[in-house]
Amino acid sequence: MKALMSLGALIGVAGILLLGGMVFDIVPSTTVRLVEGYMPIQMIVEVACYVVGFAGLSYILNAMGMAIPRFWQGIGFWVFFLMYLKFRVYPPIPFSVRAMYGTVALVTVFMWISANEEDWKKFKQPIMNVLDAQTGANRLLRYAYLVLIPILVGGFSFNAMMPKSEEPIELRTVHPAPPASTKVHGKTYVLQTSQNPYRVNPEGKYDQEFSNANIVEQSMGRLMKPNANPWDDKNQGYLKYVREGGEIFFQNCHFCHGDNLNGRGLHAFAFNPIPANFTDPGTIAQLQETFIFWRVSKGGIGLPNEGFPWASVMPPWEQHLTVDEIWKVILFEYWHTGYYPRTWD
Amino acid sequence: MMDSITQKAGIIAAAAFGAVLVSSAGFSVVSAQGLPEGFKKGDLAPEPSAEMIEAGKRVYFTKCVWCHGVDGAGDGPGADRLWPRPRNFNQGTFKIRHTASGELPLFDAKKPVAGQNDLFETVTHGLPGSAMPPWEGILSEEQRLQVLSFVTTQLVKDRKFTDKQSETQTVLQLADLKPKPATDESKKRGSELIVEKKCVECHGMEGRGDGNAFNLKDDWGFSIQPANWHKCWNFRGSRQDPYNVGNIFRTFSTGVNGTPMPSFADNTSVDERWDIANFVNSLCERDPLGNPLPIDPLTDKPKINFVIPSDQFEGEIPAEIEHEAWQKAPKRYVAMGGQITHKPRNFVNRIDDIWVRSLYNDKSIVYLIEWDDRTKSVAEGKLPWAPTQVNIDIKEQAPKTGEEESIAANQNKYDVYNDAIGIETAVKWKELPAPIKPRYLFGSNEQFPVDIVKWEADGSLRAFKGTGWDKDFEERDNYEESMKLLKSEWKNGRWYVMIQRPVGNKKDQDYDEDTFFEVGQYIPTVFFAWDGHNGDAGRKMAVSAFFYTFMNPPVPQETYIYPVVIAVGVVLLEGWVLTRRANRKKGKTL
Repeated sequence: MKALMSLGALIGVAGILLLGGMVFDIVPSTTVRLVEGYMPIQMIVEVACYVVGFAGLSYILNAMGMAIPRFWQGIGFWVFFLMYLKFRVYPPIPFSVRAMYGTVALVTVFMWISANEEDWKKFKQPIMNVLDAQTGANRLLRYAYLVLIPILVGGFSFNAMMPKSEEPIELRTVHPAPPASTKVHGKTYVLQTSQNPYRVNPEGKYDQEFSNANIVEQSMGRLMKPNANPWDDKNQGYLKYVREGGEIFFQNCHFCHGDNLNGRGLHAFAFNPIPANFTDPGTIAQLQETFIFWRVSKGGIGLPNEGFPWASVMPPWEQHLTVDEIWKVILFEYWHTGYYPRTWD
Repeated sequence: MMDSITQKAGIIAAAAFGAVLVSSAGFSVVSAQGLPEGFKKGDLAPEPSAEMIEAGKRVYFTKCVWCHGVDGAGDGPGADRLWPRPRNFNQGTFKIRHTASGELPLFDAKKPVAGQNDLFETVTHGLPGSAMPPWEGILSEEQRLQVLSFVTTQLVKDRKFTDKQSETQTVLQLADLKPKPATDESKKRGSELIVEKKCVECHGMEGRGDGNAFNLKDDWGFSIQPANWHKCWNFRGSRQDPYNVGNIFRTFSTGVNGTPMPSFADNTSVDERWDIANFVNSLCERDPLGNPLPIDPLTDKPKINFVIPSDQFEGEIPAEIEHEAWQKAPKRYVAMGGQITHKPRNFVNRIDDIWVRSLYNDKSIVYLIEWDDRTKSVAEGKLPWAPTQVNIDIKEQAPKTGEEESIAANQNKYDVYNDAIGIETAVKWKELPAPIKPRYLFGSNEQFPVDIVKWEADGSLRAFKGTGWDKDFEERDNYEESMKLLKSEWKNGRWYVMIQRPVGNKKDQDYDEDTFFEVGQYIPTVFFAWDGHNGDAGRKMAVSAFFYTFMNPPVPQETYIYPVVIAVGVVLLEGWVLTRRANRKKGKTL
């Protein structure tokens, strides 16, 4: 037990040192990268490691007679969590999201310290001590609080009331409801029943299984399967069209959506919000091919009102590409990201 | 001490062998072994294993082939619409290196170490200002080494990385050279050296890359532009660390292979190189306190604040940039992308940012817009279309043309039109139903048009109404008379344009065509920029995202009263809590 706890304590100390290093910019927060798509799991695992570490640390300190009071444990953990969000997580998450997580963490900490009457009392004790001001130090602290709190609250409210020119927040629906059908180049496509005409096997028949077997591998790098190279001249069917789609993508789309389809193309920095990241599991992986077909054909202007049309400058690609080219690009996007399009069944 | 010894040795060696390398400094700085100062002989790296090469092929044909092509000749499907064109690997010419001019870059498939593996760093951090993205986080370290093993052995065809007969490695020992502190003295010496070493001939008097802007060619005959020292985040060799002076020192010491940028290692001492690097680094845009601009990790460009604050000014707004009010006005970085939504799309926009400041008084609002443009372009003769015309005969680059007709080859063949800047604001922006904003290019429809103010380098300042991206502009009656061009000047690669327009009111202006600027409100604003030498006209231009003009209101009185009231309230609350606690304790003890 003791050995186990010592190990835990070691993890805890190492973890704190690491985080400290990140706070003071000694250890870059990119040392262990959070990989897009796996980020939430990675974070949960990391925080779990920290919790185990802290438990071990607390046990050891307790055994050595240097126990940390519950009050400071609670506050300490909450502060740790805020620091973790701010300094560990990369790419950085905005303050509003951190504030939300921080609040949830605060509630969790309260639940933990008020789990039983004993703990709650222990937690309250330091606060009560200050209120009662039995000792000199506590009395000093009480007066300090008496003066500081009104000043701080006044200061904050002054700051909040000063006219500011912060960017107004505008929320938008990322995947607005598509129409039932869409008319592209004079032909009507019913979204429920249309299929990508290029998702075909070498015999030329629609074949979802065949195409799914030939997409890139869903692991670091998302590389093509060793024997499924779209640049192989012998290809027939699916992979041949993937290559054609890729050519169209790299002549038209990569300027915004990027060489790795992650929304960080050559011109991406000038847009707000930056272009869609197809490698994110929240974008094309959640959608049907026909949705993408509608979205690509009609562009930002074609979005319904709840999609905030002005927040997308994607061109209506029907003005630049043929229907065949659009389907091929879509085929390529799924191939390159390694996602399966959603189907109706 | 060491410096002076090597310098003396250098002079002696140079004199003894008569190998005087001509330099404007008058003597060459060469160490005793004949190597430039700061360099050491290195060994060629061993050949990567066959497995690495094979694995790299798989990476290459998934990720790289689309631009660099099947044979690595920089002719993939994406190449013809890109400038700079993707690298042709066949000749083994690579720009960013630690090795002496003309040598192959450092690459060792077993050593992914910063400073010792140039190609690995290029793939890891990308080449900003080009379409080459950073691959870190996308490809694992192993995969990056694999793909480079493939490229260096299979696609570099004219040279061989392991051939001891023909290849040498003379490596800049950047890690061992302590950077010189960027003192005023060092920067001053640097500023003199860049003139003495003729840097300014290409990079321009202010380092905006405007010297010799159209006569430079790379090894493949494509037009190439000197770097703009004020945008360090666009330096190809910035390694996602743009304000690091070491990058400049390295590029200056090793030169950029395949381009007219030579290595200055032979005719400058290490000390002089640090002075130059310190000076060049000091030119990069900084905030008012002199700190580096925060860089957005998602885009590797400066972080954008989408609000353009406008400060109030009593009386006539000054036309001099040196005026205190302009110096104090916050300056915003406005990122510009190519207009790649509507035909003709502008795949290469030479203006990639503008800097905007604003002041207002009770009658007018003034925008001061500054942007770097290597060439002052004014169309010769009359333009073949009316100022209102948007649907004009400008072709966009075809997707597949081959090298000769590619966008890179076309760079200095365009007809020259006017440089221009446009400010688009929404008319009736207050009445728009929530989801609608007429913030498409040139307005969304008849019901919600946009108000466009456009300045052109021929000195004209015009106002238009825009009602849709595919519709020509409409003229505005008499509005131009109420506007004023306070300043328009091109100097050393930078435009300074100051445009004054009315803030608008219901009495004198047309509510249906004119944007009313209201204090304390967010007014959707979009900027357009045209570079005449890029053949920009009509919809071929650079565009910004949607910014907001915000006229800072004077501070209301409540701001000073309420916080005091709140603070007093908190004191009362504290009193109540303490009394209650005291009473309760008394009750308990009793």
